[in-house]
Amino acid sequence: MILNGVEIRDTFAEAFPMVGTRLIITADTPEWALIAGRTTTGFATSVIGCGCEAGIERTLNPEETPDGRPGVSLLIFAMDFGSLKKVVPLRLGQCVLTCPTTACYAGIDTGKRVPLAKTIRYFADGHQISKKIGGSKGEGMRFWRLPVMEGEFVCDEDTGSVEGVGGGNFLILARSRGEALKAAETAVAAMVQVPGIILPFPGGVVRSGSKVGSKYKGLFASTNDAYCPTLRGTVPSQLPDEVGSVLEIVIDGMSFAAVAEATRVGITAVCAIGAEGGVVAIDAGNYGGNLGPFHFKLREIMQNGAGETA
Amino acid sequence: MTGVSLKPRAPFEARVDLSGLTPEVTGPLSLRELEHREVPCGGRSVKLAELFFVEGAPDGVLLVELGDVRLDGVGAGMTKGELIVDGTVGAHAGRGMSGGMLRIGGDAGDFLGSEMSGGRIELAGNAGSHAGAAGSGARRGLSGGVLQIGGHAGPHAAERQRGGLITIAGDAGEGLATGMIAGTVSVGGTIGPLAGRGMKRGTIFVNAAPELPAGFIDTGTHELVALRLIARRVPELSALLGGWTRARRIVGDTLIGGQGEVLAGA
Repeated sequence: MILNGVEIRDTFAEAFPMVGTRLIITADTPEWALIAGRTTTGFATSVIGCGCEAGIERTLNPEETPDGRPGVSLLIFAMDFGSLKKVVPLRLGQCVLTCPTTACYAGIDTGKRVPLAKTIRYFADGHQISKKIGGSKGEGMRFWRLPVMEGEFVCDEDTGSVEGVGGGNFLILARSRGEALKAAETAVAAMVQVPGIILPFPGGVVRSGSKVGSKYKGLFASTNDAYCPTLRGTVPSQLPDEVGSVLEIVIDGMSFAAVAEATRVGITAVCAIGAEGGVVAIDAGNYGGNLGPFHFKLREIMQNGAGETA
Repeated sequence: MTGVSLKPRAPFEARVDLSGLTPEVTGPLSLRELEHREVPCGGRSVKLAELFFVEGAPDGVLLVELGDVRLDGVGAGMTKGELIVDGTVGAHAGRGMSGGMLRIGGDAGDFLGSEMSGGRIELAGNAGSHAGAAGSGARRGLSGGVLQIGGHAGPHAAERQRGGLITIAGDAGEGLATGMIAGTVSVGGTIGPLAGRGMKRGTIFVNAAPELPAGFIDTGTHELVALRLIARRVPELSALLGGWTRARRIVGDTLIGGQGEVLAGA
């Protein structure tokens, strides 16, 4: 398949089940909401080293947030619910509670409950105040007020969770580093508009894609040498001679459909740049289809807008 | 008309206790069975048909036409369905409710919604004493659900309240939220003396700071994000709190180690 001179390789991205949740962070200004969001989702590129993968889903207007202030929506994913229950309160306590003017609310109503203030309320040392009001029958969600030096930190008791998908991806093979980067930036700008997904790596882009395993004991992953331009000819390479740089975009989503849609949107944006802009091909990372149950077949996605679950 | 309608045949000569005559009880019964159901009236039991014209079709809604101050226990023990009273009711309306909706078009007597744990009561008029409070011998008052009072509330409303929400559009009498354990009360008008005495936790919202017992400490005026949240999440409080961003926070009753609060508009 060739789109605007760009080869869409006949392969698929292999993704894994993850458990995810959504937090709504608000603050007095959009800037402080963004600071809290970035801090909370920092050092969360890969579960391998960070324990979770997280990112800012989108910014929120005041009319979209529970307290009428500007905010951000965050998605946090972990490999299992037990891990999620640990990492979310940790990040909440260190990155949101500490951030001026912020408040934190549940972003999902359904699914297993992930503790928020349920855990960190004890910081208030007995001065915490709980409220459970609202709802048509008075069955409203419980929230907590924690006295802090600045005033009060308001936080919902907990939030819901979903069975999500982690590790959706595609690779941009380009003639040069500059052209690869421009294509990746264009893809990211388009993909962040898709609801229910995050791109957890720096700026949404990965330069150090990995393969499973290593020659060194104890390393789970190592550089994806088949896609390293400087190793072409010394290892079994996947890169034609004209490719000088490869960048990867990794996608975590609340559902298979969300990841598939983000993949389609991203590749479409890259292909709009086309061969004239230095893009040679689109590829994807997989492990032969034996590890992850979710397969995002690039050509099917670009033809039909959908992939498949193995 | 939907549901079952009870229309008094004549003014009651004695107090009538309708406790337990709730939509979930009347729903499965035929009109004939309903007519023969006995209710306490004065010192004896009488058939419902002796007191009311019983009409309509049972479907989870019970309508009491032409309420009467001698009608006690209306909606007491409700768990679901809807009970509408087109007028005034006596004491103990909605007592111990755990679900459903009770609408009262007129006034209510004492102990409205006492020991209620869920559901919703909407009273158009004034409430007597002890609205949402603990009944005689009970340790806790309203612990869940919503009690909305469109007019004034008599003395000792929300006494020993344990949770849930009570809104009073008008004034509240003396002893509001005495011994309150938790929950929320809002008062649109003024508050009588001795409010919050013995209060352990919970919140009283009021437009202007009232005179409070000695155990309350004024912490000053604060900008509280919770006010914005409550105003949006709790429609019943949006009218009162809609314009608030700051409140004066008065904490008590410290004489018993309480950490309740009165939040007054600022």
